[in-house]
Amino acid sequence: MVMACKVINKRRHVGLQQLSSFAKTGRTFLGPVKSSKFIIDEESHESVLISSPVRLLESLDLTSAVGQLLNEAVQAQNSTYGTGTNTLLFFVGAWSSAAEECLHLGVPIPVIVSVMSEGLSSCNEEVVSLQVPVHNLFDHVDNTNTFSGLETPSVNLYPFLQIPSDTGLIQKEHELKDVSQTMTIYSLSGRPVKSCKLFRSQAKVEADKNVLQTLQTLINSRHANTSCRKSVLIHSRHFNSTDNNQWISNPGGFLEQPGAATSKTHSCNDLVELAVGLSHGDHSSMKLVEAAVRLQYQNTCMQQGNGTTAFTFDVSRIFTCCLPGVPETYTCVCPGYITLVSISSTTLIKELKDQPVRVVLVQGDLTENYCHLGFNKSTNIKTVLESMKVNQDSAEELWANHVLQILIQFNVHLVLVQGNVSEHLNEKCMYSKRLVIGSVNGSVMQAFAEATGAIQVAYITQVNEDCVGNGVYVTFWKSIPLDIVDKKNRMAILLKTEGINLVTAVLTGPVTAQMQTKEDRFWTCAYRLYYALKEQKVFLGGGAVEFLCLSHLRIIEEKSLKKGNHACSWRLRHSSSWLASSLALYRPTVLKRLANGWHRYLSTLMYNTASYSSEFEAGTFVQQHLQKAIDSGSPSSYILNEYSELNSGVFNSGISSKLEQIPRVYDTVTPKIEAWRRALDLVLLVLQTDSEIVTGHGHTQLGSQESEGILFL
Amino acid sequence: MSRLEAKKPSVCESKPLTSERVRATLSVLKGIVTSCYGPSGRLKQLHNGAGGHVCTTSQSSALLHSLSVTHPVLKILTASMQNHVSCFSDCGLFVAILCCNLIENVQGIDLAPTTIIELNKLLLSLCTDYLKSEACACRIPVDFSSTQILLCLVQSILTSKPACMLTRKEVDHISALVLRAFLLTIPEKAGDHIILGKSIIVPLKGQRVIDSTVLPGMLIETSEVQLIRMLPIKKSGALKVALFCVSLSGDFSDTGEGTLAVSYGVSLENAVLDQLVNLGRQLVRDHIDLVMCQKVIHPSLKQFLSSHQVIAIDRIGVTLMEPLSKMTGAQPIGSLGSVSPRSYGSVKDLRSAEFGSKRFFHLIPNEVTVSSLLLCNRNDTAWDELKLTCQTALHVLQLTIKEPFVFLGGGCTETHLAAYVRHKTLNEPGSILKHDGCTQTELQLIAEAFCSALESLAGSLEHDGEILTDRKYGHFWSVQSDSPAVVNWPDLLSRCGCGLHSSQEELSWSFLRSTHHPFVPQNCLPCEAANSASDLTVDCFTAKLSGLQVAVETANLILDLAYVIEDTN
Repeated sequence: MVMACKVINKRRHVGLQQLSSFAKTGRTFLGPVKSSKFIIDEESHESVLISSPVRLLESLDLTSAVGQLLNEAVQAQNSTYGTGTNTLLFFVGAWSSAAEECLHLGVPIPVIVSVMSEGLSSCNEEVVSLQVPVHNLFDHVDNTNTFSGLETPSVNLYPFLQIPSDTGLIQKEHELKDVSQTMTIYSLSGRPVKSCKLFRSQAKVEADKNVLQTLQTLINSRHANTSCRKSVLIHSRHFNSTDNNQWISNPGGFLEQPGAATSKTHSCNDLVELAVGLSHGDHSSMKLVEAAVRLQYQNTCMQQGNGTTAFTFDVSRIFTCCLPGVPETYTCVCPGYITLVSISSTTLIKELKDQPVRVVLVQGDLTENYCHLGFNKSTNIKTVLESMKVNQDSAEELWANHVLQILIQFNVHLVLVQGNVSEHLNEKCMYSKRLVIGSVNGSVMQAFAEATGAIQVAYITQVNEDCVGNGVYVTFWKSIPLDIVDKKNRMAILLKTEGINLVTAVLTGPVTAQMQTKEDRFWTCAYRLYYALKEQKVFLGGGAVEFLCLSHLRIIEEKSLKKGNHACSWRLRHSSSWLASSLALYRPTVLKRLANGWHRYLSTLMYNTASYSSEFEAGTFVQQHLQKAIDSGSPSSYILNEYSELNSGVFNSGISSKLEQIPRVYDTVTPKIEAWRRALDLVLLVLQTDSEIVTGHGHTQLGSQESEGILFL
Repeated sequence: MSRLEAKKPSVCESKPLTSERVRATLSVLKGIVTSCYGPSGRLKQLHNGAGGHVCTTSQSSALLHSLSVTHPVLKILTASMQNHVSCFSDCGLFVAILCCNLIENVQGIDLAPTTIIELNKLLLSLCTDYLKSEACACRIPVDFSSTQILLCLVQSILTSKPACMLTRKEVDHISALVLRAFLLTIPEKAGDHIILGKSIIVPLKGQRVIDSTVLPGMLIETSEVQLIRMLPIKKSGALKVALFCVSLSGDFSDTGEGTLAVSYGVSLENAVLDQLVNLGRQLVRDHIDLVMCQKVIHPSLKQFLSSHQVIAIDRIGVTLMEPLSKMTGAQPIGSLGSVSPRSYGSVKDLRSAEFGSKRFFHLIPNEVTVSSLLLCNRNDTAWDELKLTCQTALHVLQLTIKEPFVFLGGGCTETHLAAYVRHKTLNEPGSILKHDGCTQTELQLIAEAFCSALESLAGSLEHDGEILTDRKYGHFWSVQSDSPAVVNWPDLLSRCGCGLHSSQEELSWSFLRSTHHPFVPQNCLPCEAANSASDLTVDCFTAKLSGLQVAVETANLILDLAYVIEDTN
């Protein structure tokens, strides 16, 4: 084994440069209007359409150490919170260039680390003032929206059109939809390079100013003619009521007093309002999530028989079922479990329909040679035949017959299997009118176990009367099932039982390449709403928190410039070191660079939403408001006062800038703060790294151009 | 067909230390360990260069894990470092840096190796005698009636590892948790011999550090929600526990070599399963409430047990077996045959707990000597580093109970010790040399090398600045590297490395690397003053003392090498 040690140059920090160049690739994902990317494999000519950092990093070559760390950070954020990866990736880029600038200016590394992390902590304390409590959301949930059984209303999902759907826009939508359908042909014709261009152009449709303006005029005219205005916010008491401006004119401080009579208007206690605010432009996905929450809520109410009991939105009981190739109008959420089965079971489903069936839940595989985990089959055991009684049937046949006997004995017509299912057994069961479904998610099994009283078993031989569940209904998902058949000849069926706390979102779309994106977007919205409900608070969003951080940092930067040496407001652990004295010297420099990260975030956000022709122009707008906010003395009250104006300019997509009643935009609290923290942690981790130690056979693999500056041990 | 090949002759290298290659690799190694040292140490990315896991660290134990050195001289060094770390957890880098410094500093000195070694030994015993004596001015006795010093100790360890990525608030939180986890391992009823329990670190990656917590008893992760729903068991009194270390999965892996012939129709699986169910019957008869197995329990046995209201937890893993056995008093059962009732143990209660996305069984013992530290950090790299650091801290606390002292940290002990040695060798050389054959000049030379090795070790703590020492206590003071020559030191310096002294105390300073005029380092250590100072940086007494010895002895060993003979076959 040879070990090499590579010293990373001090002034020109390679790691930081790598970080910022990786992060640059994800800039277009920021904000409500995302431009998708095509990633094409030169060798296999395979391509994927992506629009999230997680998918981007999955497709990039990240063999470098820094790339790995970045991927690890993004994955960790995604698996913990399911949202915030865009923010994370952007700030990794912004702050790694900030740290590099500081290095160029000769700021010692410990000072950068110290000031940056204290600066972020200080911002985290500051943004508490923009938290909006989320209370009593379900007091107002009216039951007019009840979705019953199979007649679940469909919610349209147009991927690239993220303005509230409205009658006035349908014409426009149709045009867009036509475009997307012609596109399908291209993408299926196996010429991804060509379709790549087309997709981009489609993605850019919204960025196209002309289109925007027409949309805007549409909205405006609609607004003028209020009689025909049918807003999505119809349930919101705030947006239709006249006291809408009251919270705006009421400066600062009120947000901290939940429970007071006035606070009711300032907290968010309407599910629709919350959902729209958290949708970040993706209204169609959020509508689905919202509907899913309502279904869960109704189920909880029915189970407990009382609407006021505590309800928690359980995101682990939500599933997605993707049906590529099926028209978008079929997108919807349904109570129960929707899954795909082969169309050969059509007659079987018809037979099982309309009657409760008994169910068995199998945790392992349902195959003859399956053994539970931890069971090691001995290889050196041979079965010897003593007599000539050779059985004609194979072992599998014997086993399948045995399984069938058990199913018949307990009158079981439905078997849900977590693992694989033997093809042979499947056929056998079909003949005897029994449905076996494999690869069922563990949480689905759990939900069915709870609702039906079934006990999960590892082997079918374990089944006894106690293990069998009752009262499951199997139906086709739609009344004309053969209309909805995916490419693998599978159709969707629905499994339901009384009181099951399970909701499936069916995602459909004509373009197969978009399914992944659609699913990702659905989950992003689901997690956003989940955290808002779980934490019972949200941030005033759309850039408000970022703007506050920016102005807060500018203020403390100015303060520390004035106070000079005595500005040691932050107690430091290494108070003994020279750090204490040099901190005061460098603090303004480092804080300025840290604040620039937020500045860049805001201007990129605005540029991406296409309301500004350049990032520079957007930056000027931010700068103007920043100066006003600082001059006002209290940026947080400035933001609250000017929210509607800022919202239209900075925080909102700019589409509805002429509207007086702008829906408030919200952000999740912990996922956002954590994304910042993870981004900074990663940057500081790389900043403090001075060498790479390559273990193993690195010696032979390192190219000659790379081996410069490498030391061997 | 076997093939014989002539053996290659062994390679013999004389005076390995004079070789340019050895010097170069030694200095690379020194560069790596030196740059890692201290709270502002630089981190290293360890990876295999082919997309494997990346470990970002500045800890000796993590470095040693993946450092593979080729030359025997380096192997001696890393081996003794490894040995030290496995015994004391702390001060691994200290050993390596000091050892490298000692070797490097005597390179230019024209003395026989034996003389150097002899004198190094004398100086070492001078140091250890002083550090162990009552007169020692750089150690503080630990007052167990307050948590002050112990907290400082844990905080010092946590801050010395920057790759943990903790803010000040998080350091405070984690150090309080570590201390609490440690205190829970001390039995309440202490006899003559105290047997400390164990703290188990339970991973919870991806969560905020501030979400970490400590629980008395043990946490066992489980994915089986169904079992959790059986809780709580309504039962007065303790729960009876059976603990298995043998697999109950129903397989027969010990069939030995050769093939086993079985007649058709005979199922070995069923035979084993029957045996398992019999075992289950016995457990039910013996009124067992909780069955735990290191390995896997057969689903049928689990089903049988749960139908009799016995909770079965499997796949506990080998690491938890020993503390589980200790905590419950159960003897791990190693056979499927009849079980002796004497091997059963008990727990006070069994609950369920949920943290992040994980579910746990929480076992609460009758007498708490086992604690679980549920440790969170945002990503894998930082979590691994934090885990190692917390383990070090827990170990250091154990060592501190044995020898209730701490050293002043932040480089102050090293600079103070150097000042003491310098003063002693100049003023009382006779008492050091005693009857040995070395001259005073030789002593002076080697003492200078020894002291500057200690001082540059302290200097390694500072990566961006320069070091001063005061001429009263001999403590460590750091200053920015390009400070003007004539300055008002008290304004520029704030506190010394360990935090005991302030720059306002009318001291005089000199650069550590400048020429030295020996002085008598004073003892200013009223215990009260030390205990009242809230933010002291302190080091583990036992680990540092042993580290000093290991470093000097390893350096002596390497200096003593005359030949390296390598078998190249």
